[in-house]
Amino acid sequence: MDTGTRQDFSHLFSLYLAIGIGVAIIVFGAVGFAIWRYRAGTGRRPSRVAEKNKLEAGVAVAITLIVAFLVFRTFTVEAREDNAPKEATTIDVTAFQWGWRFVYPGQGVEVVGDSNHEPTFAVPGDEPVHFKLTSADVIHSFWIPGERFKRAAIPGRTNEFDLDFESEGSEEGLCTEFCGLRHSDMRFNVWVLSKASYRRWLAAHS
Amino acid sequence: MSHGAKGGGGPLLAWACLLLALGAMLAIWSEGSASSLLFLVGAIPLTALSAWNRARPAPGGPRLLARVSVPVVAAAIGVALAAVGLTGGLWLVLIGGEVALFGAVWLAREVALERRGPRRREVRR
Amino acid sequence: MAGGAQLVAPAPRAPAGGALGWLAATDHKRTAAKVAIASTFFFLLSGLLALLMRSELAQPGLQFVSDHTYNQLFTMHGSGMIYLFLTPAALALGLYFVPLQIGAAQIAAPRLALFAFWIYLCGGISMYSGFLTDNGAGSDTWGGTLPLASSTHTPGVGMDLWVIGVGLAVLGSLLIGVTILLTIVRLRAPGMTMMRMPVFCWTMLATSFMIVASFPVMVVAMALLLAERHIGGVFDGATGSIAYQHLFWFFGHPVVYVMFFPFVGAVAEVVSTFSRKRFFGYRALIVSLLVFSSLSMAVWGHHMFILGAVQNQYYSLTSQLLAVPAGIEYLDLIATMIGGAIVFRTPMLFAVGFILQFLIGGLTGIIMASPPLDYHVNGSYFIVAHFHYTLLAGSLFGLLAGVHYWFPKMTGAMLRERLGKLSFWTLVVGANVTFFPMFFLGFEGMPRRVPDYAPRFGDLNLLSSIGAGFIALGILMVLANVFVSLRRREPAGDDPWGAQTLEWATTSPPPRHNFGAGLPAIGSYAPLLDRREAEEEEREQRGVEVSA
Repeated sequence: MDTGTRQDFSHLFSLYLAIGIGVAIIVFGAVGFAIWRYRAGTGRRPSRVAEKNKLEAGVAVAITLIVAFLVFRTFTVEAREDNAPKEATTIDVTAFQWGWRFVYPGQGVEVVGDSNHEPTFAVPGDEPVHFKLTSADVIHSFWIPGERFKRAAIPGRTNEFDLDFESEGSEEGLCTEFCGLRHSDMRFNVWVLSKASYRRWLAAHS
Repeated sequence: MSHGAKGGGGPLLAWACLLLALGAMLAIWSEGSASSLLFLVGAIPLTALSAWNRARPAPGGPRLLARVSVPVVAAAIGVALAAVGLTGGLWLVLIGGEVALFGAVWLAREVALERRGPRRREVRR
Repeated sequence: MAGGAQLVAPAPRAPAGGALGWLAATDHKRTAAKVAIASTFFFLLSGLLALLMRSELAQPGLQFVSDHTYNQLFTMHGSGMIYLFLTPAALALGLYFVPLQIGAAQIAAPRLALFAFWIYLCGGISMYSGFLTDNGAGSDTWGGTLPLASSTHTPGVGMDLWVIGVGLAVLGSLLIGVTILLTIVRLRAPGMTMMRMPVFCWTMLATSFMIVASFPVMVVAMALLLAERHIGGVFDGATGSIAYQHLFWFFGHPVVYVMFFPFVGAVAEVVSTFSRKRFFGYRALIVSLLVFSSLSMAVWGHHMFILGAVQNQYYSLTSQLLAVPAGIEYLDLIATMIGGAIVFRTPMLFAVGFILQFLIGGLTGIIMASPPLDYHVNGSYFIVAHFHYTLLAGSLFGLLAGVHYWFPKMTGAMLRERLGKLSFWTLVVGANVTFFPMFFLGFEGMPRRVPDYAPRFGDLNLLSSIGAGFIALGILMVLANVFVSLRRREPAGDDPWGAQTLEWATTSPPPRHNFGAGLPAIGSYAPLLDRREAEEEEREQRGVEVSA
């Protein structure tokens, strides 16, 4: 992948937001115009026009075209996200009530934490990291807001996905699928490290 | 689209067709996911209602209706008690069932009396 | 004479007044009133829970409630509002006004509607009585996701009472929807063809389609969930949990349109009346309604994008296509206003509020319909903002438009205009101050369904909580308006607004069989407007003849 997960999101979101704001301006403007220009009291008789099929068809076609464009852009980004090839670093994530376990298969590293002690795991920046996500009990959800990505952790099922962390630093993570009593305390942290630092971290934690 | 009592089924059929089309599209796109069968929950009754309405249009004209219908309330409360009884215990299911049955029988009587017409002075407790 | 059923009571011994009359009356108007009153009660109760939530959320840290209590609060707030307030209230409007608008003397199955009301009421009582049990009321969100909703993870009678209560409430709504459907299909007055039905009736028809097609699935889902809790083995493994979500969301999406369409219809009637024009684009609207409501049955998977277990592309396409019929409806509403002579009474204010505020909810919905974007905002306060814009800033405003519009017809009394306008503006401030900040909260990483949050979210949460106070104030004003207007009545007469549809051609309130003095000619979806325009033309003609 040449662009990061967060960047993919940002471009697509900006497109949707721009179109959304544009539509809102048009509609607010049209309503504002209507209620100002056509308020009663000027002695004008209301028009009796109640149908303009060409206008309806035109608007329908216009909206369909915009939707088609948005759908096309969505499908493009989605294809990139959901079909990314497997890469070197793999992390097995298990969510449980109310914490997280991160296992690096083949590296002998395991990080566990819960609501009393938040776990922190590390990933190498600048290359795709492959995640295998599951749950030990109920459905949870693995969200890293900084990466603009989440996926559900389902017991009895493994969800696989890739994330491409771009900038080094610390990111927060949390559970966003209501999972019971301590749902709001199910947090974790991610350190995005350079390749060298990452290897050192692995060595320190094995 | 419709002419009085016999019409009205058009939109139902149109909608049922839309459902079937959407369901078929999901079935194909999802490679046979069972969830596409859910579209039948609406398509079947609406088609049936459309056909039934054509076959037996509403009779029209005056119709009798009691101002109050206490048995209906009894039946509803009975059903609700029985439902709550599914967690509260068999005793509640039985009580609810009895109340519902009582209400149903009373309702049948009430409707039968109503159908017989206004000429007879009905004797109600 | 009114078509369809014309009703003559058997020689009545007991008048239909008094407690018995209220509890067991078969008149659709009485049943609708009962549903409206019960739903208002549940609205206030569930709204109180929201105020408790916002009090807790005003500052970081846990001040007033424990985790478990908070989980009950948000679960009961959401399920109360959806199953016990907004869905029944939408149906109550239809139950009252569909027969009147189509010139019928009663609904098609009055006893069924009465039965349905009691089932729904018992369901609501069952749900809320969970608070009296050891482990508290239902506490697993308004949908009860598995495996969390199983008896291992959410033990206690309170959750069982929730499951049963929801099943009953939805069953009640289903049955009312059926009576409305039957009424429209079978009891239209002679001359009231489908293509002459008012816009509101068409929205109720589309609503009843969605109800018939999805509510039974929810009743079954609740029954199965109860079985899962008590016997087990119904929804096993990942496949079972996902299957449960299919069943729930197959209902869970259409239900939000059930809580939308009737209010679009009410707003359409209000906009037409107060613009002094017949509704624009009637035929296009009908096509839109059919497309919109059928599409709405095919989008439920967008709630499941993050599961990685549904055909995301299909659902993304259908969800985004919703913009097309929605756009036509907006076009028609605006085009009805353009060229009109708009009068800004309270109903019209609420109607315009609905149109503008719902748009914000709808546009953010399109954002969420894109899976890559949903992967960020799902489960966050962005979603909370989205659905409160559609349901509160949208549907509730639409409901209030309908209530202020039809109150004179139902009660014979006018609502106070100044208080009405004041309540409108208070609610506009409240709705936007409460929910707009939530878009940013969610986007920045605040999840939903949490009693506590990271300290950096404190300021916006405080702002939200202040806004909630304004909402409460606005609602109190509406209630005060109703109370005062009923106490010291300003008589309304048959048609205080100069409206267009048949319900305004009878007394306020209408007699038991709706039309005592017969119906005017029905030539379009705005028969009273037709009559006024014809009279106007006739007067002009005579004027021309005299002066000629």
